[in-house]
Amino acid sequence: MNDSLILLATLLVPLLGAGVICALAPAGRGTVRWVAALTSVVALVGAAVLAMRFPGGMEVFAPASWRAALSEGGLDVRLSLGLDGLSIWLFALSALLTLTSVLVSWEAIRERPAAFYALLLILETGLMGVFAARDLILFYIFFEFTLIPLFFLIGIWGSEERRYAAVKFFIFTLAGSLLTFLGLLALVLWNQQAAGGELVFSIPELTAGLARVQQADPNLVLQSWIFLALFAGFAIKVPLFPLHTWLPLAHVQAPTAGSVMLAGVLLKIGTYGFLRFSMPMLPHATMTWMPPLLWLSVAGIIYGALVALAQTDIKRLIAYSSVSHLGFCMLGLFAVNRLGVQGGTLQMINHGLSTGGLFACVGIIYERYHTRQINELGGLARGMPILAFFMLVFTLASIGLPGLNGFVGEFLLLLGMFQRGWNVGSPWETQFLVIAVLAVFGVVLGAWYMLWLIERTFFGPPHQPAHDELHEVHDLTAREIAALTPLAVLIVWIGVQPHVFLEPMAPVLDNLVEVVQRADLGPSQGMASTEDGATPGATAGLPSSAVVSTEVASITNPDSQAGPWSSGASPSRSSAIPLPAGADRSSNEPPLQGQAKRPAWMIRPPQEGNAALLDKPAVAPNLVTSYRLQSSPAASTEASGNIVPTPPSGGSLVKTGGRL
Amino acid sequence: MNPLMSLDTVWLLLPEIVLVATATLVFVGGAFINSRVGFHLVALASVLVAAGLLFRQEVVLGMFEPGAVHGHSGPILIDYFGHALRWLALLTGGLFLLLSSRAGPDDLATEVTGSLLLAVAGLMLVCISGDIVLLFAGLELISIPTYILLYLGRDNAASQEATTKYFFLSILSSALLLYGFSFLYGISGTTELAAVRQAVVDVNIASRSGLAALAPLAMVLMLAGLGFRIAAVPFHFYAPDVYQGTTNGNAGLLAVVPKIAGIVALIRLIVAAMPGVESVAWQLVLAVAVLTMTLGNVTALWQQNIRRMMAYSSIAHAGYMFIGLAVALAVAARGGDSPAADGVAAALFYLVVYVLATTGVFAVLVYLSSRARQIDGVDDLAGIGQTHPLTAICLAIFMFSLTGLPPLAGFWGKLSLFLGALAVDVQPPSTGLRPWFVSLAVIGALNAAISAGYYLRVVGVMYFRSPVNVPRAEGGRGAWLTAAVAAVLVVAVGLVSEPVFSTARRASSSLHNPAVLEMEANSALPRSDDRTVPPALTQAIPAEPAPR
Repeated sequence: MNDSLILLATLLVPLLGAGVICALAPAGRGTVRWVAALTSVVALVGAAVLAMRFPGGMEVFAPASWRAALSEGGLDVRLSLGLDGLSIWLFALSALLTLTSVLVSWEAIRERPAAFYALLLILETGLMGVFAARDLILFYIFFEFTLIPLFFLIGIWGSEERRYAAVKFFIFTLAGSLLTFLGLLALVLWNQQAAGGELVFSIPELTAGLARVQQADPNLVLQSWIFLALFAGFAIKVPLFPLHTWLPLAHVQAPTAGSVMLAGVLLKIGTYGFLRFSMPMLPHATMTWMPPLLWLSVAGIIYGALVALAQTDIKRLIAYSSVSHLGFCMLGLFAVNRLGVQGGTLQMINHGLSTGGLFACVGIIYERYHTRQINELGGLARGMPILAFFMLVFTLASIGLPGLNGFVGEFLLLLGMFQRGWNVGSPWETQFLVIAVLAVFGVVLGAWYMLWLIERTFFGPPHQPAHDELHEVHDLTAREIAALTPLAVLIVWIGVQPHVFLEPMAPVLDNLVEVVQRADLGPSQGMASTEDGATPGATAGLPSSAVVSTEVASITNPDSQAGPWSSGASPSRSSAIPLPAGADRSSNEPPLQGQAKRPAWMIRPPQEGNAALLDKPAVAPNLVTSYRLQSSPAASTEASGNIVPTPPSGGSLVKTGGRL
Repeated sequence: MNPLMSLDTVWLLLPEIVLVATATLVFVGGAFINSRVGFHLVALASVLVAAGLLFRQEVVLGMFEPGAVHGHSGPILIDYFGHALRWLALLTGGLFLLLSSRAGPDDLATEVTGSLLLAVAGLMLVCISGDIVLLFAGLELISIPTYILLYLGRDNAASQEATTKYFFLSILSSALLLYGFSFLYGISGTTELAAVRQAVVDVNIASRSGLAALAPLAMVLMLAGLGFRIAAVPFHFYAPDVYQGTTNGNAGLLAVVPKIAGIVALIRLIVAAMPGVESVAWQLVLAVAVLTMTLGNVTALWQQNIRRMMAYSSIAHAGYMFIGLAVALAVAARGGDSPAADGVAAALFYLVVYVLATTGVFAVLVYLSSRARQIDGVDDLAGIGQTHPLTAICLAIFMFSLTGLPPLAGFWGKLSLFLGALAVDVQPPSTGLRPWFVSLAVIGALNAAISAGYYLRVVGVMYFRSPVNVPRAEGGRGAWLTAAVAAVLVVAVGLVSEPVFSTARRASSSLHNPAVLEMEANSALPRSDDRTVPPALTQAIPAEPAPR
């Protein structure tokens, strides 16, 4: 069956389900929730099939495109869909967490159930659409549209302060995303101004076009402005440290399903936006703004953790832990090296699974005890061992226990951050090391508040709210187990076989990292090492190597070349970005003189083990490979030959005599 | 010779004539036969007949073919712009007729219907008039029935106050407009817009007299006069009081019909007919746009009365439309720019979107009101999400569209406006306009976020609060139907915005098409043969007869 058709069906099934639910509304809660569960299962199957058939590589998977909306008269907005390594897991995650949400709301939603499930399914389409959109305007439509169902979900079915929370959430995010909208339009106009021709809204074409434009003239001022405009919306969604105030309120007041979707998927739209737009389209600005962004991320990590420690409400605690964890994701992404970006991206999925699961558990507890206060609960493990098991799995995943997914993500991204800080050449760059150390401190804090939470509520002397003394509390039902099991299974799976999930993402992410690092040519922060004469072509600005990667990808994936849905013949559907000629991969090796440039106190003799590994980043990705070797040797050999073609660039920036 | 020149003026005005004739019939008949429903149906039928005639005209004129022939017959312009807006006027008129099926006291119902028809005819006249006298007549044909409608609204002190206030300020604005017209006439010695344009060009080229200096003065006065009708700052003061004092239906009419007329007249007069003043005009319009939208949105946040809130919302949206006009003027001032910077098309598209959503909001309010209890406060809507689910969905759609959320029509309106503003001065050579317009777009975007505050409050009240004091919903099926039609259109334009947008673009390009202007100038020549030298002021001013 055609992939594009599956993608389209997966997107439309929830809408269809929502329509059926509205039609069946008089039939009552029993019917409606079954329809919702069935719909979300079908959508999940669709997403799973897509994920299994996803070939990896640079090529856009399951492309589909129609002319739409304003396409006459110069605005070629297209209804164009497709997935790639960046979006495939987030797409699947949206479908999975919707099923979880439907199942945990089974008994909790008694008021207007038809509207609730319809909105939940509409939200699913919106979220999946964000990740599947290949057109800038279409992306923004989905991006903004997700606000409407969530607004109602929080405002109607939330707890006491729901109305305030819904409005604050809506206005806060809308204000940011309108500025993002201007930034996106500015990207399109910049491309047109420099390249001429029609306005291009297709994301891959725009990425490629802007890369060409910036080779000729990086226009750093304009890039910075657009970057800040995009930042406004994405950072609020993430949320980055000073912009997070909407999050605890919305997460706490939302119904369980709303919290799961908010924490699990909606926050990732922000990080996804950085990965999809800010970093590849504005690489110079990314490098310019990297240090302040890293500081904000680490501030969020520490602040979120400290505030979480002080919470008395379980849901609030987990909400603040999200602030902390999303700080980790951002830290990984803006370390801007292979390990960091891979870790950050994987951590997005991990956080969706573990925090989604935690919110679901809190919802289950609330359903039984009608309280979320930590001091009113205690020793729950005795009465509900199964819930305690799931809660423990999610908690351990969240604090990064080796063997579970959180460890892989946090380890990779912290390693990436240390790489960024390791080749220190100036006092200015020692700040990266400080950031990395602070982030590790955040991991410790994270373990503290999570373990503390689970110790007080699940273990210790049994303790229940007074008014529920006579109430017989039962352990998880089969439905609740069904809701939590997939999350737990994935948590363990990613923990032991991370390559299964990392490999499909790797080519796109590596390309991304390379593009951003290329942009950081020249005398950045006064420590240029101009000895590297191998890359004079970097200034010549000739696109060369992108073609190669496209061809390789198209060989591995002949199916996706021409589906019947790809009516428009776009010249390059690949998101590969032309790189400057001569800036070939060999030049990406870490400069040897990096050592000598370090302050004396930093210099360490190369040793076996970790220090050497960090010293010479070329070895670092082998860590991923060694993971593979342990679990499946076959995959690793294939991978080392094919999927990870780039020698690691690590923390070492390419220093050339380029101009800026 | 242009074949259109021979077309009968009466034939071109037939839709308007049908409406006015029906209005007369309704006025006179209503004195003898007291049948609200009967006359209402007659009025609706006359709108349909007018629509049919308009369609027939366009087929004959070949309006639907690309590269349609343009021209004019006497003071009536035949261009795509005018015809597209006539359709908008007819649609608005039809919706308001439907909406007011139960408006006014029973014995005066025909007066309401007839006045509405006259206002619609006036609006259509404004859309096609190519002569400042006819334009003024059209504007007055809107205003005078509006006074009657306001007076018929409700029998209380607030309503009287609103009517009187509107009446006096409207007269004042007409006077300002006329004063501006007199300068325009002084410069050009003609009342025909195409000839005015030519004359202004000549004056600018010759610049022998001080006449060129009068053009900005005329522009400012006309902007002031029309700014009142559009409810732009600082001419907006009447709007909140008047809207609050009158009925929901009348408030809707005031929010929509004068706004269409004002925007159309502004485009015809300042954007199209006064080359050379753009360099002053864009700065003025930009400043007005920023003030209008910011003041409207911020003040609306505090309103408890829903009509007062919608009045500030209407002010704010006037500001958004001014973004488009500022873009159009700036592009003209720098002599062309990238095709994305089509400010007139953006403003027209936004106008359509605004008209649909605002008409819908007031239709819902009319529907939910009853003779005994009108919906006044935002709180009166509490819980209608449960008691009147379909109506509430309609109102939520309008509110989200006014906020500019995708995938509704309002989103595309904001998209085209912001894209236009960001595209100013993109093409080299740079003229330093860019920072102004980027700031304008940023202010517009922030304003859209502010506006979410009060629009969401309405949605929140409807859905998040339990019903108390449920409205009786006796506004009639007509009002409900209007709301439903408007909601369907808002969603449809959101999903398939291309037809409306390409219409707006065509309308905009028909305005700027040099071929048209040339043709207009040529056809105007017989009357202005010896006008290569501008007529002296001493000759021009006494020749000007007072139009009223």
